[in-house]
Amino acid sequence: MAKKTYDLLFKLLLIGDSGVGKTCVLFRFSDDAFNTTFISTIGIDFKIKTVELQGKKIKLQIWDTAGQERFHTITTSYYRGAMGIMLVYDITNAKSFENISKWLRNIDEHANEDVERMLLGNKCDMEDKRIVPKAKGEQIAREHGIRFFETSAKANINIEKAFLTLAEDILRKTPVKEPNSENVDITNGGGVTGWKSKCCS
Amino acid sequence: MEFGEESSPALAFEKNAFELTVEDVYDISYVIGRDLLKISSTGEEVSDLQFRIVRVLEMFETLVNKYNLSVEELKMERDNLKAELDRIIKEGSPSSGHANQVVVDLNDPNRPRFTMQELKEVLQERNQLKAQLMVAQEEIQLYKSGILPQPEPAMADVDLDTPAAKEDSSSTINEKTTIGKL
Repeated sequence: MAKKTYDLLFKLLLIGDSGVGKTCVLFRFSDDAFNTTFISTIGIDFKIKTVELQGKKIKLQIWDTAGQERFHTITTSYYRGAMGIMLVYDITNAKSFENISKWLRNIDEHANEDVERMLLGNKCDMEDKRIVPKAKGEQIAREHGIRFFETSAKANINIEKAFLTLAEDILRKTPVKEPNSENVDITNGGGVTGWKSKCCS
Repeated sequence: MEFGEESSPALAFEKNAFELTVEDVYDISYVIGRDLLKISSTGEEVSDLQFRIVRVLEMFETLVNKYNLSVEELKMERDNLKAELDRIIKEGSPSSGHANQVVVDLNDPNRPRFTMQELKEVLQERNQLKAQLMVAQEEIQLYKSGILPQPEPAMADVDLDTPAAKEDSSSTINEKTTIGKL
């Protein structure tokens, strides 16, 4: 398939308390935009962004989850397929920081064992309202052996860096193979297959 | 037991039958025994009667004993049931009894009425359609830029599988295949 637009597909997942800015972090990364109005995510949503790393086109399929407890059963069913998970808290919200351990437990319970994890302390532009010191975020990340960034979707701080770092970490442990052969498999057994191979050969 | 007055044990004869205790039965035995002694001292032969009276008194003792025990048991049972009822009434009060239940106002047009499963399915469909739209948009872009000279079947290269989706029936799988063929 000469027209393939990417070499690898990475599935990422954003989790964390409601209102910490998961959707805004994603919106900044995918559309380079920011919206101040707060619209609570319903269940689960996703965005696509293709990046280039080490000469490879990597399609990032980023799942954005609702932080609200009432969507818990829906959101946790998406953990399993994730190769990378970003756990976001809000540096102006102590509760969202305290809940990190709860979210990490969710990852342990529902995600793949080798999932790449990352901690983000969002809203770092709001220094005057800061409650969680940067050192505390660094400490908890160190304790769990995961990367940490303070980010601001609003001021566009560290957003792209965080996503690219997570993608690089996943790429580093991805075995080199013919990309996405499993996606092609979906069409197996279909009547179109013969026609397709004729047309593409 | 010492009874100062001769009439004391005899008081048991005047009691209500349902208020008799085993002690009263012993009093009655005492009085009857004493009376029998008076008769026998006059020289009359009463041993058979005496034997039967003792037997009746024994039966009487058993019955009174059993009756009193039953009353006691029933009282305890009643107290237990009362306590249980009080507990249930307390728990059933609106403040604490329905802590895990939501009261739904049937007149509220915005009341919740769909299940989590239904929401899950709608979201899955929404995300699938979104993925298809993205694929279509990408392809249009390719046509516009002249990279694709002629129509060619495109692959849905966004894999939307979730654990839940995999559990779904074969209809979903068929649907996926169709998406692949689009």
